[in-house]
Amino acid sequence: MENQTAVSEQEGHVASALSSEVIISLKKVSKYFGDFQALNGIDLDVHTGERIVICGPSGSGKSTLIRCINRLEEHQEGDIEVTGVKLDENLKNVDQVRSEVGMVFQSFNLFPHLTVLQNCALSPIWVRKMGRSEAEELAMEYLNRVHIPEQAEKYPGQLSGGQQQRVAIARALAMQPRVMLFDEPTSALDPEMIKEVLDTMIELAESGMTMLVVTHEMGFADRVADRIIFMDEGQIVEQDVPQEFFNNPKNDRTKLFLSQIL
Amino acid sequence: MNQTVSNSITVRWWYWARENLFNSWLNTILSIICIVIIYNAVWGIFSWAILNGIWEAKDRRECFAILGKDEAGNPIQGACWAGVREWFNNIIYGRYVKDEQWRVNLGISILIVWMIPLWVPNLKRKFLIGFGAIGLYPFLASYLFLGGERSWFVSFMVSLAIITFCYNTVDWLGVKAFRVSLADSLRWKMVNRIFAEKQHTFALMGLFAIIAVMLAFLIQDWILVDVSWVRMGGFHLTLVISGFAMTVGLPCGIILALGRRSRLPIIKAFAVTFIEVFRSVPLITILFMATAMFPLFMPEGFELNKLVQVIAAVCLFTSCYMAEIVRSGLQAIPKGQFEAASSIGLGYWQSMGLVVMPQALKFMIPNIVSSFIGIFKDTTLVYIVGMFDILAMTRAMGNDVPWRGEFHEPFLMTAIIFFVCCYTMSQYSQRLERKLSGENK
Repeated sequence: MENQTAVSEQEGHVASALSSEVIISLKKVSKYFGDFQALNGIDLDVHTGERIVICGPSGSGKSTLIRCINRLEEHQEGDIEVTGVKLDENLKNVDQVRSEVGMVFQSFNLFPHLTVLQNCALSPIWVRKMGRSEAEELAMEYLNRVHIPEQAEKYPGQLSGGQQQRVAIARALAMQPRVMLFDEPTSALDPEMIKEVLDTMIELAESGMTMLVVTHEMGFADRVADRIIFMDEGQIVEQDVPQEFFNNPKNDRTKLFLSQIL
Repeated sequence: MNQTVSNSITVRWWYWARENLFNSWLNTILSIICIVIIYNAVWGIFSWAILNGIWEAKDRRECFAILGKDEAGNPIQGACWAGVREWFNNIIYGRYVKDEQWRVNLGISILIVWMIPLWVPNLKRKFLIGFGAIGLYPFLASYLFLGGERSWFVSFMVSLAIITFCYNTVDWLGVKAFRVSLADSLRWKMVNRIFAEKQHTFALMGLFAIIAVMLAFLIQDWILVDVSWVRMGGFHLTLVISGFAMTVGLPCGIILALGRRSRLPIIKAFAVTFIEVFRSVPLITILFMATAMFPLFMPEGFELNKLVQVIAAVCLFTSCYMAEIVRSGLQAIPKGQFEAASSIGLGYWQSMGLVVMPQALKFMIPNIVSSFIGIFKDTTLVYIVGMFDILAMTRAMGNDVPWRGEFHEPFLMTAIIFFVCCYTMSQYSQRLERKLSGENK
């Protein structure tokens, strides 16, 4: 009974997500590293409020895909539009997109010479042009949301991996982005720290943030995702709601992948 | 009773010596040989410089007469400091006009007072203080040293330098003595009364500019006697040249290093060529080029004074060395830092200035300072193109008629001056390094 309500809720999410506007759209996107083709004609539409989990074997182009969305990598063919702005040679457009898209990295990438609070207040001050005290208030608010306000005055090197990753989430949120990208956020963490980061991400998902998450945490995918995308060799092989994806995979490569990791 | 004896300093010394110097036969022999050598050297210098030193004499002949001869009829060796005393003024100020030397003293004192806050622990805004000094002090100093008529622009910059200097000094003295910061209270008043917080820096700059214009009017009639650059010399000239080299070299080096890493081919090619050309040529060659050959390329009647040419040459040379140091520092920063800075929306200059450079500079400090020390000593080469820097003055003393042939004393004196300066720099860099590495732990 309980299970069924969960299912219907989830379907409700998908329905509402699909009816809302498209925030990220990729059309026939290809990306090469020298001779190696990392992305091969990707088509993808992400709707506002949608939570997408991307999985697949290593080297399948998952990370490259989301790194193309805020142009940490340049794509060579196709079009990427984020919040209606097209990503091209124009650096103004790139900066505009980056200020709408937050990103969390596998290796945290906090700024070691700044305190936790300064890390989080950087983009409000310099990108959103707030005053210092206003920006620090905002940063504190997000540190509260990831449950580490007491660490605000410490330097990143003094925190555990899980704490650092939560600071990284707060730092990305402090820019007040419309989309959040997660690039294997738990892969560099000790097992006992994974849960605290996933919990933070689940809270974020429940608040309605549009999220693209590259992860191998299938429990998280099952619980949070509106849609799971399976990639292999630079292509989207299969995408579906979690229920269908886990219980009834259609593609052979998906079946093989799931049999290996579940 | 027994314990006090064993803890007394002599006993502890004896134990230390036995543990470290005389713990085996071989070590004992080596230790004794070393002690004898050190004793002879130290005693020799001490008796020559201090015991037999002559402080009052009118020329070198008189020094010899006072020292006299020993029983065997050999002349007694002793330092003739009287000559160094007479030439001291020349070694420090060169041929700078005697009545105007207070200007040099004032200029150097202002610089020292301006820089003191950088040594004082727990002061905020050190970066701004350093930046202000680099940007404004050269105007104040060059006017103080050279004097003469000045343009409106120079008047304005000199006034701005004076105001910034007073403001900084009052601020940090206030913080240390009364725990009241002038800067904070000024800011606080402005933030709450007139301006929004994010505008306060601009407001403060505007306020400074207005006061500077008013001060420029006030000091319109205050004109210093013109002292030609030809008269600048001695240690003063060494300080001026190396000071310019350091303050211009670092920012130019940063720009060149960024140029070398640039993706734009023209900028990159320019930076690479520039760095490689000036780095692979000895400083002497660059100095000769600047003073002897550069005027040949210039149109007839175009004259640039030699001091400016020499300073420009040394600055070019330093910039290229700095560029390579900065580049190595930038390479030590992981790629993730650039990516993270971009991902939170910072543009190129913002990520460089806020995220990458502050971290990279920390790695670079030891290299930068050792390069500064090198440049400081290398500036003595300018005497080859006819500048009377400290080394030229030291040599000139031995060629002066009353003191002919006296070289040991002035060179020892110059060596001491260089040692004090370079050792201070290296101590400061070590302090800075310790402090910065402590911050991130």
